[in-house]
Amino acid sequence: MVRRVLSIAAIVVTALLLQSTVFSQLRLLGVRPELLYLVTIVIALLEGPNEGAAVGFAGGLTQDFLMNQPKGITALTLTLLGYAVGMLRQFITSPSPLLPTVVVAVGTAAGIIFYEVVSLLLGNLDMSITYGLKVALLTALYNAVLTPILYPLLRRITEGSRPRRVVRF
Amino acid sequence: MATRSRLRSTRLLVVALVSVSLAIITVDYRQGQGGPLEGLGRAAQTAMTPLQRAADTVTRPVGDFLSGLAHLPTLQSQNQSLRQQLIEAQTQLIHNAELQGRVSELEDLLALKQTLDPEGVAAVVIGNGVSNFDWTVTIDKGSSDGVKVGQPVIAGSPSSPRLVGLVVSVTPVSSDVQLLIDQHFAVAGRLSGSGETGLVQGQGEQDPRMDLISPDAKVDLSGDQPVEVFTVSYEINGQHGRYPPDILIGQVASVVQNSNTLETSVTVRPAVDFSALQYVLVLRTDGSTGGTG
Repeated sequence: MVRRVLSIAAIVVTALLLQSTVFSQLRLLGVRPELLYLVTIVIALLEGPNEGAAVGFAGGLTQDFLMNQPKGITALTLTLLGYAVGMLRQFITSPSPLLPTVVVAVGTAAGIIFYEVVSLLLGNLDMSITYGLKVALLTALYNAVLTPILYPLLRRITEGSRPRRVVRF
Repeated sequence: MATRSRLRSTRLLVVALVSVSLAIITVDYRQGQGGPLEGLGRAAQTAMTPLQRAADTVTRPVGDFLSGLAHLPTLQSQNQSLRQQLIEAQTQLIHNAELQGRVSELEDLLALKQTLDPEGVAAVVIGNGVSNFDWTVTIDKGSSDGVKVGQPVIAGSPSSPRLVGLVVSVTPVSSDVQLLIDQHFAVAGRLSGSGETGLVQGQGEQDPRMDLISPDAKVDLSGDQPVEVFTVSYEINGQHGRYPPDILIGQVASVVQNSNTLETSVTVRPAVDFSALQYVLVLRTDGSTGGTG
């Protein structure tokens, strides 16, 4: 259990570090990826709603505290996103290897639009609707491109740290 | 049975986490600056600084290489035009040296002196803001080096400074600098040539906008010389503005056409390339001076 928490904490910190250093230089039309959205969605897909919500909350809160933005909104967004993706998992039966990519793209776009709407309601975001949509779609695209690279990596880390269960019928 | 109780515990967890998030949003919204959450945020930034510094050292060459690769086609033409500009600049320089002599003579006569002549703290950019809605950079100097919230940050040489932004939060070992393209950034600007003033405001990824320029001002972009925007110094009730005068903010890129006849607006292309920012200078102006810039 401790090992599991530590490995997920390491994933979250690495994602934040990469995002603030190397990916801030590698922008896609001015937009950087949202690695924590990707991590939350992938972990929710692999592990389920419990883990999805918990990782989303912890990662979102960490990101909130590193930003000069109102705190708590990313935590809220990612908690709900992790839970939603984890719940959706039981309805997905397709074995397609493209599945994580599609879920990451749709989930990222939905999550960012949710984030923008909440910030807008709190009066902390003054941007046009077109710009908001552009950011959401481009980030979703960028995250989708990164998924085939990062998904196997994340799966290996989470599976390696999973406690071995003995299943008896 | 087991699945049902598991489902219930999941739901409970999500409801609890969502409530905590909402509580944090509310507390943060009400407390503004300087509450307990602000302190927690600073602690998190302090803890991240050494990691960020290490990651930046390792990944910068990789990022530079990849972004250089992406810009390869434009580099050649850029090289050409830079050579051309160099020749023009050298000619200009000779002319300027002559003018400089006259200016210093006149300045002495008028006993002019700079209202603010602060010394700077050189710093290295070690990280960028983590979100798409946050235009900040993190630098490796903090309160232990005399950096305070509200101090202006510039790039370039002290003789031809270019505005980067403003320190918005400090830890003992690092500080966050709000870039002038941030949506919450505003600074008073003066157009070269006409000397008209206005308010330059960040617009995120788009070029900043300069509003509140007098409608009589003619902004002519067809001339050879680009119209540049500089900071202005002012004094209200004995308080100086935040920025020393004559820091280059950027060049006017276009005049905004609008039906509003009470003011003219232009877009300003920043003089600093924020994607390649590495060294900056924090100006240690007296932190007590007020004004929003």
